Amino acid sequence: MAVGTTERGALTHPDIERLDDVNRDVLKMLSVPGKGWWALFAMCVAGVGLFLSAWFWQIYKGIGVSGLMSPVGWGVYITTFVFWVGIGHAGTLISAILFLFRAPWRQSIYRAAEGMTVFAVMTAGLFPLIHVGRVWHAYWLIPYPNSRFLWPNFKSPLVWDVFAVTTYFTVSAVFFYLGTIPDVAAARDRATGLRRKLYGAISLGWQGTDKQWHHFGKAYIFLAALATPLVLSVHSVVSWDFAMSIVPGWHATIFAPYFVAGAVFSGVAMVITLLAPLRKIFGLEAYLTVKHFDAMAKLCLFTSLVVLYAYLSEFFLAWYSGEDPERHAFWNRLFGTYWWATWTMLVCNGFVPVMLWFKRVRHSIPALFVISIFINIGMWFERYVIVVTSLHNEYEPFAWGIYRPSVIEMSIMVGSFFWFGFWFLLFTRLLPPIAIQELKEVLPPPMRKKKSSEVAEAHQ
Amino acid sequence: MTDGIKRRDFLKVLGASSAGATMTGCGPSEVEKLLPYVVQPEEITPGVATWYATTCDCPDGCGMWVRTREGRAVKVEGNPEHPISQGAVCLQGYASLQHLYNPDRFAGPMIREGDRLRQGSWDEAERLLSAKIGQNTAAGRDVMFIGGHMGPTMGRLVDEFLGEVNGSRVEYHAVSSAPLREATRLAYGIDELPRYDIESSDLLLSFSNDFIDEGSVEDDRGLSRMHSVDDSGHTKGTFVYLGPRLSTTGLNADEWLPINPGSEAVIALALAAHIADGDTAGPYASLLETYGIADAAVASGIDEDALRGLADRFSAAERPLAIGPGVGGHHKNATAANLATLILNDVAGAKGVTVHVGGGATAASAPFSDIAEAIERMARGDVGVVLVHGANPAYSLPEGSGFREAFGETSFKVSFASAMDETAAMADLIMPDRHFLESWGDSKPREGVHTVQQPVMQPVPHFDSKQAGDVLLAVASHLGADLGASTFYEYLRAPHQTMHADDPEGFEQMWREHLRTGMFGMGMMGGGRGVDSQPVELRMPDRPLTFDNPSFDGVGDLTLIVHPSPRFKGGEFSNSPWMLELPDPVSKITWHSWLEMNPVTAEGRGLREGDIVTVASEYGSVDVPLWLYPGIREDAVALAMGGGHTDMGRWATGQGVNAMDLLPVHVEQPSGALATLVTTVTVTPTGERRRIATIEGSNNQRDRGIAAAVAFTDLGHSEEQHSDGVGHHDELMELQGFGGVQPVDAHDGDPTAYPLPGADHGLYADAHEGPRWGLAIDLDKCTGCSACIVACHAENNVPWVGEDQVVMGRDMTWLRIERYYEHVDASHASHLDVRFLPMMCQHCGNAPCEPVCPVYATYHTPEGINAQIYNRCVGTRYCANNCPYKVRVYNWYRYTDENVPEPMNWQWNPDVTVRTNGIMEKCSLCMHNIRDAENRAALEGGREVRDGEVRCACESSCSAEAIVFGDLRDPESRVSQIINSERTYRVLDDLLNTQPGVNYLKKVTHHDVSEGH
Repeated sequence: MAVGTTERGALTHPDIERLDDVNRDVLKMLSVPGKGWWALFAMCVAGVGLFLSAWFWQIYKGIGVSGLMSPVGWGVYITTFVFWVGIGHAGTLISAILFLFRAPWRQSIYRAAEGMTVFAVMTAGLFPLIHVGRVWHAYWLIPYPNSRFLWPNFKSPLVWDVFAVTTYFTVSAVFFYLGTIPDVAAARDRATGLRRKLYGAISLGWQGTDKQWHHFGKAYIFLAALATPLVLSVHSVVSWDFAMSIVPGWHATIFAPYFVAGAVFSGVAMVITLLAPLRKIFGLEAYLTVKHFDAMAKLCLFTSLVVLYAYLSEFFLAWYSGEDPERHAFWNRLFGTYWWATWTMLVCNGFVPVMLWFKRVRHSIPALFVISIFINIGMWFERYVIVVTSLHNEYEPFAWGIYRPSVIEMSIMVGSFFWFGFWFLLFTRLLPPIAIQELKEVLPPPMRKKKSSEVAEAHQ
Repeated sequence: MTDGIKRRDFLKVLGASSAGATMTGCGPSEVEKLLPYVVQPEEITPGVATWYATTCDCPDGCGMWVRTREGRAVKVEGNPEHPISQGAVCLQGYASLQHLYNPDRFAGPMIREGDRLRQGSWDEAERLLSAKIGQNTAAGRDVMFIGGHMGPTMGRLVDEFLGEVNGSRVEYHAVSSAPLREATRLAYGIDELPRYDIESSDLLLSFSNDFIDEGSVEDDRGLSRMHSVDDSGHTKGTFVYLGPRLSTTGLNADEWLPINPGSEAVIALALAAHIADGDTAGPYASLLETYGIADAAVASGIDEDALRGLADRFSAAERPLAIGPGVGGHHKNATAANLATLILNDVAGAKGVTVHVGGGATAASAPFSDIAEAIERMARGDVGVVLVHGANPAYSLPEGSGFREAFGETSFKVSFASAMDETAAMADLIMPDRHFLESWGDSKPREGVHTVQQPVMQPVPHFDSKQAGDVLLAVASHLGADLGASTFYEYLRAPHQTMHADDPEGFEQMWREHLRTGMFGMGMMGGGRGVDSQPVELRMPDRPLTFDNPSFDGVGDLTLIVHPSPRFKGGEFSNSPWMLELPDPVSKITWHSWLEMNPVTAEGRGLREGDIVTVASEYGSVDVPLWLYPGIREDAVALAMGGGHTDMGRWATGQGVNAMDLLPVHVEQPSGALATLVTTVTVTPTGERRRIATIEGSNNQRDRGIAAAVAFTDLGHSEEQHSDGVGHHDELMELQGFGGVQPVDAHDGDPTAYPLPGADHGLYADAHEGPRWGLAIDLDKCTGCSACIVACHAENNVPWVGEDQVVMGRDMTWLRIERYYEHVDASHASHLDVRFLPMMCQHCGNAPCEPVCPVYATYHTPEGINAQIYNRCVGTRYCANNCPYKVRVYNWYRYTDENVPEPMNWQWNPDVTVRTNGIMEKCSLCMHNIRDAENRAALEGGREVRDGEVRCACESSCSAEAIVFGDLRDPESRVSQIINSERTYRVLDDLLNTQPGVNYLKKVTHHDVSEGH
């Protein structure tokens, strides 16, 4: 199977000859699911059950059911929060930034990546709620008019977080929704019964007229431009949760770019993790080509280098500061109680991606899948290292302590993956996971089909 | 927290659901009716505390003021006019409220029926006892009364009662000073305890005497006063500790001589011999000739130069004082060791200066031989009725004493225990005594100090208790005897009444005055301090004595030191969550027992901290986790008393191990005391490990200057002082609005300059003219005794969390005492540098916790207090993460609901919110006391709050006088005066510019600090 390139640079596949094929192949995914899908979905439903029951138990009993303690007041919950916010990055990066930069390889992956963004941010948004002691009062962080003139403290990075995450979720959800409208309309045209009505409502009466396309295009560019700064801002703000504090290991100016790079790194890795099986399950080899994966692998490699640079500069600056609390914090990362977390992070994020220098690795989907899993693990541990090892040995040596995550905490953390998977699986079944209309844009214009003899001639 | 669903809970739920099914619009599950006082009691104003003076019931006899609110005792304070307590009591004193409200107290008299006890009425119980005594007397058998410490009037009543029934009284104390009493008798012919005037001494030698651990607030204050640098900075006493293990007391020393266990006598005699010239040693001159420094060096394992230097200094000191071994050092020659220190004192001219003989103090010094004889009589069957009051010998005597068997075989056993203990568990009749806060009585710890014990509240209604004195009077009347009173109250008043028989009205007036002051007689200040009733001279001992190092039983390779716990004493205070959760002042371990072992020893045996080891002597063995401690000799291990209760209420039972299980019964001669430093043990790993329930993270402050010190010789020339830690005074830069970065002098010691000019001070610190509240804590005074922690818990409704939670690192204490090692060396005599640092919220002027709270639950009051608004807290815990001092504690569960059973919650201070699940809390500088004082000041004509009018719980509890609260902005206030010192520093301020309101004064060391580590 040879892979060609259109004049606009998009990747095409010889098997796709007619625009109609795209509709057929993509919308096929929305038809009756196979056993594999159902098995995954059942697993996710069970996982969501675990997630919710662990959470409700925690609300009932108190945060004490976690392993959190003094001095480690933030642990797996905040680690997982930052992890999911980071995952949420790749989607917007791929859909908005690469759209603005007209990167040719994004069309077939951006829908899935965007879906991932929305669900990841949705998952991430739960974690601040999970980790507060009195979730029933969590709305106090939102500025709302009240008779007692009680406002949140706008100096607190946690309030910034509320704005950053909610804004990001809103914009990425709207952006995601907007992009799906023409495709949902395509699905509507094929669907019957209840589905047809539902898709009809979601597609807002899309007819595909020129005027609609015109407005659609404008709105899409506009939202892409709006979402782009958010890619940078949301994780910068999340990084300030740490950087604005005085905790050694948190208080660093490098945090914002470091976190954004880490977010893109983990996000792209997660896209690979999700698309590799999706490609297999739904037979989308024609749409998700090796070239796509190669491009994503290169992005991973680049961000891996940025992240590794950030690690090294942190170690250097800790030494260079000459302050014992700072120096100890970083020495403790490498050789202290949580050395294994730090080394997991360094190996997974710094050393494993070195393999991506090799084209053979970048072109092997199984290899990329495995590496992406390593990166996911490494990036989770990066946040664990930042949150936990910094807190557990702080300024006051007498108050040092060791945090051990509890079963409930790990259940909620693992459960969040199922929660994410639950929504993502539903998404693959209910909305076209590959953007039909954008793919069509880059396909060669439809032509009368040549006779088979002519085809044979052309190939000679 | 929970043990699954209990039947009772199930029924509750069932009941609640059926109630819910039939009713709509239910509010709280239990509706309580709140009725205001219809006729208000004269003494009670709702919301205003009423104070009563009384006396604690331990042998030290501290005067107390008890704060009651709406008829409930909520807080104990020291009586500031009492000569012993002088405003502070010990940690057990503060915790006495938990014994008062102990839910495990007996609901009423318990009468044994077969294997179980049934509750009876008082009349039934008293008739039963009368009948048993009657039968017993008829059968020609004895009545025996085994009693612990009791006041003089109660003692008189017991003796009169026993006189009526032909009984005998045996005094028993789990922790007894018998060797010292015997030594004093031998040396001076006076059968009393001497009084050591630690306060006035300038060189103090403690030979394995742990006076702070034994809970004496007087000695704690004395040490603090003699040992801290004076205001002019010119004098500072020296404290040398000679002993195999550093107790809390030992950790306060300037020098440690880690002597061989039991070598105190030889050293004391050698020092005395070195000092003595001519006949100053009196009859002991010839004895001293046989002891030289070289002998002492061999016996103690300390090099000669160190001992000779010590002898020279002791000789040169103006007011030297040597104290002989206390309970932790009661080896086979403990009396000889105490006698040797008395000789040393005498030779060095301390008698009449720092050592006073003849003050009438005899409390808690009965020898073990008394109870041993009683056990023999019980075992022989001579005794038909045994009454046990204020003692728990079934727990606190070693198995080998035979008490359990002999007591068990006695036909009728009566216990006056108010709550279950091991002895009561064996009794046939339990007549629960009232707690001393519900009782009448008196106390006379020594001549010149005679105080009143009065009920501070109605007896806790959950428990149908009766004062033992009343019971004895009732039983006596059943037996037809007339002891001159029908109630103990009358009995207590009778002698005073008789004295003023001609003026009953005047008597009533005087009696009220007694109750108001808590003391009998006026002009008590001085309280027998330094009273030498008659001149005394050393005499030849009338018994043979051996001064040489004692032998140790067994073939183990480690000497076992068994010492009273600073928290549980001999075990009588074990069933109190405050005591259990209080970090031990030395080890910082809560709840469970531990074995102390030197890290070098442990390394040699491949043992690690947390390993559960089997400690075995020839007499028994216990399994206990290991804790590594550089403050113990390499050839010794130590175990505290007070653990391992088998039958003592819900908290103490099964907690830890009983050190007595390892001890033989060795009667020290000639005092007759039970020797506790007597056996060797083997320590073998069990292969199991556990996490230790400690609050200690690291004992090394890594030169961060957290607990700072300055050398005594460097005081007075602050420019070139060798202070350790972060000593640099760099200019700090701070971002100020849009004004750019400007320098801020964070180390401005001027207390009036708050907020510091130009600095941005967190939230709400705009121009405010009122006070800036703060603390001054003098590390040179703090002895680490930890009474402040208990007082803080009592004052501020701080819950306890339980062993599993402490293991996780979730202790809730608002105030902890950090203990950092700078120099602890058990291998030879050297200086000792251990720093205690009381750490509570620092009330930073520039608080890192404040800006990070998203909902303003923590903010800065205009008065400089970092306030926490509990009901606004959402529980993000960001403030705790950002607190460099780690003084914010979090309610991980509903500790206040789930851990505190009725009626323990009666102790809650109604002035302080009880916090619930999911919120942060921390030290409030006893904000409610400030408000109270402000309200009072407003009512009294709008005057200013006077300096010293507001006292934090930690301040008022500090017998070492290390903590002072006040207005930092008032240059005349005590706190401003104190911190106007070259020793003042603020923890981590130089590094972080937090500008704390808590100011510390550096510890002053006799060694050079810069070379100290």
